[in-house]
Amino acid sequence: MKTAFLQAIELVLSGDKQLLGILEVTMRMSIASSLLALLIGVPIGVLLSTARFPGRQALVVVNRTLTGVPPVVCGLICYMLFSGVGPLRHLRLLYTVQGMVIAQIMLITPIVVANMEAYLRDIVPSIRETSKGLGLSAGKVFVITAAESRYQIISTYLLGFARATAEVGAVSMVGGAIAYKTNVMTTAIMNSTSRGDFTLGVALGIILLAISLVINVVAYFLQRRVSR
Amino acid sequence: MIVRDLTKTYDGRKVLDVKHFEFEKGRIYAVVGANGSGKSTFAKVLAGVISSDEANCILRDKTCVVRYSPQKGYAFRMSTLKNVTMAGKGKRDREKAKELLKSLDMEHLMKTPAHKLSGGETAKMALARVMMEKCDYLILDEPCAAMDVQSTLKTEELVKAYCEKCGCAVIIITHSLKQAERISDRVLYFEEGILTESGASAEILHNPKSEKTRAFLDFYTI
Repeated sequence: MKTAFLQAIELVLSGDKQLLGILEVTMRMSIASSLLALLIGVPIGVLLSTARFPGRQALVVVNRTLTGVPPVVCGLICYMLFSGVGPLRHLRLLYTVQGMVIAQIMLITPIVVANMEAYLRDIVPSIRETSKGLGLSAGKVFVITAAESRYQIISTYLLGFARATAEVGAVSMVGGAIAYKTNVMTTAIMNSTSRGDFTLGVALGIILLAISLVINVVAYFLQRRVSR
Repeated sequence: MIVRDLTKTYDGRKVLDVKHFEFEKGRIYAVVGANGSGKSTFAKVLAGVISSDEANCILRDKTCVVRYSPQKGYAFRMSTLKNVTMAGKGKRDREKAKELLKSLDMEHLMKTPAHKLSGGETAKMALARVMMEKCDYLILDEPCAAMDVQSTLKTEELVKAYCEKCGCAVIIITHSLKQAERISDRVLYFEEGILTESGASAEILHNPKSEKTRAFLDFYTI
Protein backbone atom coordinates (compact mmCIF):
# COMPACT_ATOMS: atom_id res chain seq x y z
CA MET A 1 0.00 0.00 0.00
CA LYS A 2 2.92 2.30 0.85
CA THR A 3 4.44 1.64 -2.58
CA ALA A 4 1.12 2.35 -4.30
CA PHE A 5 0.80 5.62 -2.37
CA LEU A 6 4.34 6.77 -3.28
CA GLN A 7 3.82 5.80 -6.92
CA ALA A 8 0.53 7.69 -6.92
CA ILE A 9 2.24 10.89 -5.69
CA GLU A 10 4.90 10.39 -8.37
CA LEU A 11 2.12 9.99 -10.95
CA VAL A 12 0.41 13.20 -9.82
CA LEU A 13 3.68 15.14 -9.95
CA SER A 14 4.75 13.70 -13.32
CA GLY A 15 1.78 15.13 -15.20
CA ASP A 16 0.76 11.75 -16.62
CA LYS A 17 -1.21 12.08 -19.89
CA GLN A 18 -3.93 9.62 -18.86
CA LEU A 19 -4.35 11.30 -15.48
CA LEU A 20 -4.58 14.76 -17.05
CA GLY A 21 -7.17 13.47 -19.53
CA ILE A 22 -9.35 12.15 -16.72
CA LEU A 23 -8.95 15.42 -14.82
CA GLU A 24 -9.90 17.46 -17.87
CA VAL A 25 -13.11 15.47 -18.50
CA THR A 26 -14.01 15.64 -14.80
CA MET A 27 -13.55 19.41 -14.63
CA ARG A 28 -15.44 20.01 -17.88
CA MET A 29 -18.38 17.94 -16.68
CA SER A 30 -18.38 19.27 -13.10
CA ILE A 31 -18.03 22.96 -13.96
CA ALA A 32 -20.69 22.82 -16.70
CA SER A 33 -23.20 20.81 -14.67
CA SER A 34 -22.80 22.80 -11.45
CA LEU A 35 -23.03 26.15 -13.28
CA LEU A 36 -26.14 25.11 -15.22
CA ALA A 37 -27.73 23.65 -12.09
CA LEU A 38 -27.05 26.97 -10.34
CA LEU A 39 -28.62 28.95 -13.20
CA ILE A 40 -31.73 26.77 -13.10
CA GLY A 41 -31.91 26.21 -9.34
CA VAL A 42 -31.39 29.73 -7.97
CA PRO A 43 -34.45 31.31 -9.68
CA ILE A 44 -36.60 28.33 -8.67
CA GLY A 45 -35.35 28.62 -5.08
CA VAL A 46 -36.10 32.36 -5.10
CA LEU A 47 -39.57 31.70 -6.50
CA LEU A 48 -40.37 29.00 -3.93
CA SER A 49 -39.28 31.18 -1.05
CA THR A 50 -40.79 34.50 -2.14
CA ALA A 51 -43.89 33.84 -4.25
CA ARG A 52 -47.22 32.71 -2.83
CA PHE A 53 -49.17 30.40 -5.15
CA PRO A 54 -51.28 27.24 -4.80
CA GLY A 55 -49.17 24.10 -4.62
CA ARG A 56 -46.02 25.90 -3.44
CA GLN A 57 -45.69 23.74 -0.32
CA ALA A 58 -46.20 20.59 -2.43
CA LEU A 59 -43.40 21.73 -4.74
CA VAL A 60 -41.11 22.30 -1.76
CA VAL A 61 -41.78 18.75 -0.54
CA VAL A 62 -41.29 17.30 -4.05
CA ASN A 63 -37.97 19.14 -4.35
CA ARG A 64 -36.82 17.88 -0.95
CA THR A 65 -37.68 14.35 -2.10
CA LEU A 66 -35.66 14.85 -5.28
CA THR A 67 -32.57 15.81 -3.26
CA GLY A 68 -32.51 12.20 -2.03
CA VAL A 69 -32.92 10.47 -5.39
CA PRO A 70 -30.24 7.76 -5.74
CA PRO A 71 -27.82 8.69 -8.57
CA VAL A 72 -28.23 5.28 -10.22
CA VAL A 73 -31.97 5.96 -10.58
CA CYS A 74 -31.14 9.24 -12.27
CA GLY A 75 -28.60 7.42 -14.46
CA LEU A 76 -31.21 4.82 -15.35
CA ILE A 77 -33.74 7.51 -16.39
CA CYS A 78 -31.14 9.25 -18.57
CA TYR A 79 -30.02 5.93 -20.04
CA MET A 80 -33.61 5.04 -20.94
CA LEU A 81 -34.14 8.48 -22.51
CA PHE A 82 -30.90 8.54 -24.54
CA SER A 83 -30.47 4.84 -25.44
CA GLY A 84 -31.21 3.40 -28.88
CA VAL A 85 -34.85 2.75 -27.98
CA GLY A 86 -35.38 5.92 -25.91
CA PRO A 87 -37.46 8.95 -26.97
CA LEU A 88 -34.40 11.21 -27.08
CA ARG A 89 -32.11 8.79 -29.00
CA HIS A 90 -31.86 11.22 -31.95
CA LEU A 91 -29.90 13.63 -29.69
CA ARG A 92 -27.08 11.02 -29.49
CA LEU A 93 -26.25 11.96 -25.90
CA LEU A 94 -25.50 8.49 -24.56
CA TYR A 95 -21.80 8.01 -23.72
CA THR A 96 -21.07 11.72 -24.12
CA VAL A 97 -20.01 14.39 -21.62
CA GLN A 98 -23.16 16.36 -22.51
CA GLY A 99 -25.31 13.38 -21.47
CA MET A 100 -23.37 13.14 -18.21
CA VAL A 101 -23.91 16.88 -17.63
CA ILE A 102 -27.68 16.44 -18.05
CA ALA A 103 -27.70 13.57 -15.53
CA GLN A 104 -25.68 15.70 -13.10
CA ILE A 105 -28.02 18.68 -13.55
CA MET A 106 -30.93 16.42 -12.61
CA LEU A 107 -29.10 15.46 -9.43
CA ILE A 108 -27.68 18.85 -8.41
CA THR A 109 -30.55 21.23 -9.23
CA PRO A 110 -32.82 20.03 -6.38
CA ILE A 111 -29.91 20.55 -3.96
CA VAL A 112 -29.41 24.12 -5.21
CA VAL A 113 -33.16 24.82 -5.00
CA ALA A 114 -33.41 23.43 -1.45
CA ASN A 115 -30.39 25.44 -0.28
CA MET A 116 -31.62 28.72 -1.70
CA GLU A 117 -35.20 28.18 -0.57
CA ALA A 118 -34.15 27.42 3.01
CA TYR A 119 -31.84 30.45 3.18
CA LEU A 120 -34.20 32.96 1.60
CA ARG A 121 -37.27 31.73 3.50
CA ASP A 122 -35.69 33.15 6.66
CA ILE A 123 -34.63 36.56 5.36
CA VAL A 124 -37.07 37.48 2.59
CA PRO A 125 -40.12 38.39 4.77
CA SER A 126 -37.94 40.76 6.77
CA ILE A 127 -36.33 42.29 3.66
CA ARG A 128 -39.72 42.65 2.02
CA GLU A 129 -41.27 44.37 5.04
CA THR A 130 -38.37 46.79 5.48
CA SER A 131 -38.16 47.57 1.74
CA LYS A 132 -41.88 48.16 1.42
CA GLY A 133 -41.80 50.44 4.46
CA LEU A 134 -39.04 52.49 2.81
CA GLY A 135 -40.90 52.64 -0.49
CA LEU A 136 -38.09 50.98 -2.45
CA SER A 137 -38.77 49.98 -6.06
CA ALA A 138 -39.16 46.31 -7.03
CA GLY A 139 -35.90 46.53 -8.99
CA LYS A 140 -33.99 47.87 -6.00
CA VAL A 141 -35.47 45.16 -3.75
CA PHE A 142 -34.35 42.48 -6.24
CA VAL A 143 -30.80 43.87 -6.37
CA ILE A 144 -30.67 44.09 -2.57
CA THR A 145 -31.96 40.54 -2.10
CA ALA A 146 -29.44 39.23 -4.64
CA ALA A 147 -26.64 41.11 -2.87
CA GLU A 148 -27.76 39.72 0.50
CA SER A 149 -27.61 36.17 -0.97
CA ARG A 150 -24.21 36.46 -2.66
CA TYR A 151 -22.27 34.32 -0.19
CA GLN A 152 -25.04 31.74 -0.10
CA ILE A 153 -25.04 31.49 -3.90
CA ILE A 154 -21.26 30.92 -4.00
CA SER A 155 -21.51 28.43 -1.16
CA THR A 156 -24.33 26.58 -2.94
CA TYR A 157 -22.30 26.50 -6.15
CA LEU A 158 -19.35 24.94 -4.33
CA LEU A 159 -21.67 22.33 -2.83
CA GLY A 160 -23.01 21.51 -6.30
CA PHE A 161 -19.49 21.33 -7.73
CA ALA A 162 -18.35 19.00 -4.96
CA ARG A 163 -21.39 16.79 -5.59
CA ALA A 164 -20.58 16.71 -9.32
CA THR A 165 -16.94 15.67 -8.85
CA ALA A 166 -17.86 12.93 -6.36
CA GLU A 167 -20.68 11.38 -8.43
CA VAL A 168 -20.26 7.80 -9.71
CA GLY A 169 -23.54 5.97 -10.39
CA ALA A 170 -25.25 8.27 -12.87
CA VAL A 171 -22.11 9.28 -14.80
CA SER A 172 -20.92 5.70 -15.24
CA MET A 173 -24.31 4.65 -16.62
CA VAL A 174 -24.73 7.61 -18.97
CA GLY A 175 -21.05 8.18 -19.82
CA GLY A 176 -19.88 4.58 -19.95
CA ALA A 177 -16.43 5.54 -18.59
CA ILE A 178 -14.80 5.60 -22.03
CA ALA A 179 -11.08 6.41 -21.75
CA TYR A 180 -10.12 9.94 -22.87
CA LYS A 181 -13.79 10.66 -23.62
CA THR A 182 -16.15 10.14 -20.69
CA ASN A 183 -13.93 8.64 -18.01
CA VAL A 184 -14.04 10.86 -14.93
CA MET A 185 -12.10 10.54 -11.66
CA THR A 186 -14.66 8.45 -9.81
CA THR A 187 -15.29 5.99 -12.66
CA ALA A 188 -11.55 5.80 -13.33
CA ILE A 189 -10.93 4.85 -9.68
CA MET A 190 -13.51 2.07 -9.97
CA ASN A 191 -12.07 0.77 -13.24
CA SER A 192 -8.43 0.92 -12.19
CA THR A 193 -9.21 -0.84 -8.89
CA SER A 194 -11.04 -3.63 -10.70
CA ARG A 195 -7.96 -4.04 -12.94
CA GLY A 196 -5.70 -4.14 -9.88
CA ASP A 197 -4.03 -0.83 -10.83
CA PHE A 198 -4.05 0.80 -7.43
CA THR A 199 -1.54 3.52 -8.33
CA LEU A 200 -3.92 5.43 -10.62
CA GLY A 201 -6.80 4.89 -8.20
CA VAL A 202 -4.85 6.27 -5.24
CA ALA A 203 -3.54 9.20 -7.31
CA LEU A 204 -7.08 10.15 -8.35
CA GLY A 205 -8.26 9.64 -4.77
CA ILE A 206 -5.61 12.11 -3.55
CA ILE A 207 -6.71 14.68 -6.13
CA LEU A 208 -10.39 14.17 -5.26
CA LEU A 209 -9.65 14.64 -1.57
CA ALA A 210 -7.58 17.75 -2.29
CA ILE A 211 -10.45 19.25 -4.34
CA SER A 212 -12.91 18.38 -1.59
CA LEU A 213 -10.62 19.97 1.01
CA VAL A 214 -10.24 23.22 -0.96
CA ILE A 215 -14.01 23.44 -1.56
CA ASN A 216 -14.81 22.79 2.08
CA VAL A 217 -12.30 25.35 3.34
CA VAL A 218 -13.75 28.02 1.01
CA ALA A 219 -17.33 27.00 1.92
CA TYR A 220 -16.46 27.14 5.63
CA PHE A 221 -15.21 30.71 5.38
CA LEU A 222 -18.22 31.72 3.30
CA GLN A 223 -20.60 30.16 5.83
CA ARG A 224 -18.81 32.03 8.60
CA ARG A 225 -19.28 35.25 6.65
CA VAL A 226 -22.97 34.50 6.15
CA SER A 227 -23.56 33.78 9.83
CA ARG A 228 -21.66 36.86 11.05
CA MET B 1 -56.05 59.57 6.19
CA ILE B 2 -59.43 58.08 7.08
CA VAL B 3 -59.79 54.53 8.32
CA ARG B 4 -63.28 53.09 7.91
CA ASP B 5 -64.59 49.60 8.73
CA LEU B 6 -61.11 48.16 8.68
CA THR B 7 -60.84 44.46 9.55
CA LYS B 8 -58.15 41.83 9.29
CA THR B 9 -58.78 38.12 9.73
CA TYR B 10 -56.17 35.38 10.17
CA ASP B 11 -57.29 31.75 9.93
CA GLY B 12 -60.92 32.70 10.61
CA ARG B 13 -59.99 34.83 13.67
CA LYS B 14 -60.61 38.55 13.46
CA VAL B 15 -57.47 40.23 14.79
CA LEU B 16 -58.29 43.80 13.83
CA ASP B 17 -61.52 45.78 13.83
CA VAL B 18 -61.49 49.56 13.48
CA LYS B 19 -64.83 51.22 12.80
CA HIS B 20 -63.66 54.75 12.12
CA PHE B 21 -60.63 56.91 12.73
CA GLU B 22 -59.10 59.97 11.08
CA PHE B 23 -55.41 60.81 11.17
CA GLU B 24 -54.52 64.47 10.81
CA LYS B 25 -51.19 65.72 9.53
CA GLY B 26 -48.91 67.50 11.97
CA ARG B 27 -49.96 65.32 14.91
CA ILE B 28 -48.28 62.45 16.71
CA TYR B 29 -50.44 59.45 17.53
CA ALA B 30 -49.47 56.77 20.04
CA VAL B 31 -51.05 53.36 19.60
CA VAL B 32 -51.14 51.48 22.91
CA GLY B 33 -52.53 48.18 24.15
CA ALA B 34 -51.44 44.85 25.57
CA ASN B 35 -49.48 42.22 23.65
CA GLY B 36 -51.52 40.74 20.82
CA SER B 37 -54.04 43.57 20.87
CA GLY B 38 -53.56 44.24 17.15
CA LYS B 39 -51.28 47.30 17.30
CA SER B 40 -48.63 45.98 14.92
CA THR B 41 -51.22 44.52 12.55
CA PHE B 42 -52.87 47.96 12.46
CA ALA B 43 -49.50 49.56 11.64
CA LYS B 44 -48.79 47.03 8.87
CA VAL B 45 -52.21 47.49 7.29
CA LEU B 46 -51.85 51.28 7.41
CA ALA B 47 -48.42 51.00 5.78
CA GLY B 48 -49.72 48.66 3.10
CA VAL B 49 -47.32 45.89 4.09
CA ILE B 50 -50.30 43.56 4.55
CA SER B 51 -53.75 43.96 3.09
CA SER B 52 -56.99 44.36 5.00
CA ASP B 53 -59.92 41.98 4.52
CA GLU B 54 -61.61 44.40 2.17
CA ALA B 55 -60.22 47.08 -0.11
CA ASN B 56 -60.86 50.82 0.27
CA CYS B 57 -60.91 50.76 4.07
CA ILE B 58 -58.13 53.34 4.16
CA LEU B 59 -58.88 56.56 2.34
CA ARG B 60 -55.96 58.83 1.52
CA ASP B 61 -54.65 60.94 -1.28
CA LYS B 62 -53.02 58.76 -3.93
CA THR B 63 -49.99 61.02 -4.03
CA CYS B 64 -49.34 60.90 -0.30
CA VAL B 65 -46.21 59.12 0.88
CA VAL B 66 -46.33 56.59 3.72
CA ARG B 67 -43.15 55.35 5.39
CA TYR B 68 -43.00 52.50 7.86
CA SER B 69 -40.33 51.08 10.10
CA PRO B 70 -41.10 47.54 11.33
CA GLN B 71 -40.50 46.24 14.84
CA LYS B 72 -37.31 44.54 13.72
CA GLY B 73 -35.89 46.52 10.85
CA TYR B 74 -33.63 44.48 8.58
CA ALA B 75 -29.96 45.37 8.73
CA PHE B 76 -28.58 44.86 5.23
CA ARG B 77 -25.07 43.48 4.81
CA MET B 78 -23.45 46.83 4.16
CA SER B 79 -22.18 49.69 6.28
CA THR B 80 -24.54 51.53 8.63
CA LEU B 81 -24.16 54.67 6.52
CA LYS B 82 -25.05 52.80 3.31
CA ASN B 83 -28.04 51.22 5.04
CA VAL B 84 -29.35 54.71 5.75
CA THR B 85 -28.30 56.22 2.42
CA MET B 86 -30.12 53.53 0.42
CA ALA B 87 -33.48 54.92 1.55
CA GLY B 88 -32.75 58.28 -0.05
CA LYS B 89 -33.46 59.47 -3.54
CA GLY B 90 -31.53 62.71 -3.83
CA LYS B 91 -27.91 63.62 -4.53
CA ARG B 92 -27.22 64.89 -1.01
CA ASP B 93 -28.27 61.59 0.58
CA ARG B 94 -24.89 60.84 2.09
CA GLU B 95 -24.67 64.13 3.97
CA LYS B 96 -28.25 63.82 5.15
CA ALA B 97 -27.66 60.26 6.35
CA LYS B 98 -24.55 61.39 8.23
CA GLU B 99 -26.51 64.17 9.92
CA LEU B 100 -29.27 61.80 10.98
CA LEU B 101 -26.82 59.26 12.37
CA LYS B 102 -24.93 62.02 14.15
CA SER B 103 -28.13 63.25 15.80
CA LEU B 104 -28.58 59.71 17.17
CA ASP B 105 -24.97 59.54 18.47
CA MET B 106 -23.99 57.01 15.85
CA GLU B 107 -21.25 58.86 13.97
CA HIS B 108 -18.62 56.40 15.24
CA LEU B 109 -20.63 53.48 13.80
CA MET B 110 -21.10 54.79 10.25
CA LYS B 111 -18.55 52.41 8.73
CA THR B 112 -19.57 49.43 10.89
CA PRO B 113 -21.43 46.66 9.01
CA ALA B 114 -25.07 47.15 10.02
CA HIS B 115 -25.64 43.46 10.77
CA LYS B 116 -23.01 43.73 13.51
CA LEU B 117 -24.82 46.49 15.41
CA SER B 118 -26.52 45.81 18.73
CA GLY B 119 -30.33 45.72 19.01
CA GLY B 120 -30.57 49.34 20.15
CA GLU B 121 -28.10 50.55 17.52
CA THR B 122 -30.00 48.67 14.81
CA ALA B 123 -33.21 50.35 15.97
CA LYS B 124 -31.54 53.79 15.74
CA MET B 125 -30.16 52.97 12.28
CA ALA B 126 -33.66 51.85 11.15
CA LEU B 127 -35.13 55.10 12.49
CA ALA B 128 -32.56 57.22 10.66
CA ARG B 129 -33.24 55.22 7.49
CA VAL B 130 -36.99 55.72 7.55
CA MET B 131 -36.51 59.46 8.14
CA MET B 132 -34.29 59.96 5.10
CA GLU B 133 -37.10 61.24 2.91
CA LYS B 134 -40.05 63.49 3.69
CA CYS B 135 -43.37 61.74 3.99
CA ASP B 136 -47.00 62.41 4.83
CA TYR B 137 -47.44 59.55 7.28
CA LEU B 138 -44.64 58.02 9.30
CA ILE B 139 -45.48 54.75 11.03
CA LEU B 140 -43.03 53.47 13.64
CA ASP B 141 -43.56 50.08 15.26
CA GLU B 142 -41.96 50.14 18.72
CA PRO B 143 -38.93 52.17 17.61
CA CYS B 144 -37.48 52.46 21.12
CA ALA B 145 -38.12 48.88 22.35
CA ALA B 146 -34.41 48.02 22.43
CA MET B 147 -33.05 51.46 23.34
CA ASP B 148 -31.69 52.81 26.61
CA VAL B 149 -33.35 55.83 28.29
CA GLN B 150 -30.99 58.40 26.81
CA SER B 151 -31.43 57.08 23.27
CA THR B 152 -35.20 56.87 23.78
CA LEU B 153 -35.39 60.53 24.74
CA LYS B 154 -33.19 61.57 21.81
CA THR B 155 -35.33 59.50 19.45
CA GLU B 156 -38.48 61.16 20.75
CA GLU B 157 -36.97 64.60 20.15
CA LEU B 158 -35.93 63.59 16.64
CA VAL B 159 -39.42 62.26 15.85
CA LYS B 160 -41.03 65.45 17.15
CA ALA B 161 -38.64 67.60 15.08
CA TYR B 162 -39.30 65.47 11.98
CA CYS B 163 -43.05 65.80 12.47
CA GLU B 164 -42.80 69.57 12.81
CA LYS B 165 -40.44 69.94 9.85
CA CYS B 166 -42.41 67.71 7.45
CA GLY B 167 -45.84 68.50 8.80
CA CYS B 168 -46.58 64.79 8.62
CA ALA B 169 -48.60 62.57 10.90
CA VAL B 170 -46.52 60.20 13.03
CA ILE B 171 -48.12 56.98 14.21
CA ILE B 172 -46.02 55.34 16.87
CA ILE B 173 -46.74 51.91 18.31
CA THR B 174 -45.52 51.72 21.88
CA HIS B 175 -45.76 49.69 25.05
CA SER B 176 -44.55 52.60 27.14
CA LEU B 177 -47.38 54.76 28.43
CA LYS B 178 -44.77 57.22 29.66
CA GLN B 179 -43.53 57.55 26.11
CA ALA B 180 -47.09 57.94 24.84
CA GLU B 181 -47.61 60.78 27.30
CA ARG B 182 -44.30 62.46 26.44
CA ILE B 183 -44.52 62.32 22.68
CA SER B 184 -48.10 62.06 21.46
CA ASP B 185 -50.99 64.43 20.90
CA ARG B 186 -53.50 61.62 20.52
CA VAL B 187 -53.70 58.10 21.92
CA LEU B 188 -55.41 55.09 20.38
CA TYR B 189 -56.11 52.22 22.75
CA PHE B 190 -56.52 48.72 21.28
CA GLU B 191 -57.96 45.68 22.98
CA GLU B 192 -58.26 42.29 21.29
CA GLY B 193 -57.95 43.93 17.89
CA ILE B 194 -60.64 46.50 18.53
CA LEU B 195 -59.95 50.24 18.71
CA THR B 196 -61.70 50.69 22.04
CA GLU B 197 -60.90 54.29 22.81
CA SER B 198 -59.12 57.26 21.26
CA GLY B 199 -58.67 60.93 22.00
CA ALA B 200 -56.28 63.52 23.40
CA SER B 201 -53.33 61.87 25.18
CA ALA B 202 -53.88 63.52 28.58
CA GLU B 203 -57.55 62.61 28.49
CA ILE B 204 -57.07 58.96 27.55
CA LEU B 205 -54.08 58.36 29.79
CA HIS B 206 -55.47 60.08 32.88
CA ASN B 207 -59.20 59.99 32.53
CA PRO B 208 -60.33 57.23 30.19
CA LYS B 209 -64.00 56.70 29.55
CA SER B 210 -63.88 52.95 29.03
CA GLU B 211 -63.54 50.64 32.01
CA LYS B 212 -61.27 48.35 30.00
CA THR B 213 -58.87 51.20 29.24
CA ARG B 214 -58.90 52.24 32.89
CA ALA B 215 -58.09 48.66 33.97
CA PHE B 216 -55.20 48.53 31.48
CA LEU B 217 -53.82 51.88 32.61
CA ASP B 218 -54.10 50.94 36.28
CA PHE B 219 -52.06 47.83 35.56
CA TYR B 220 -49.40 49.72 33.61
CA THR B 221 -48.91 52.58 36.08
CA ILE B 222 -47.80 55.75 34.35
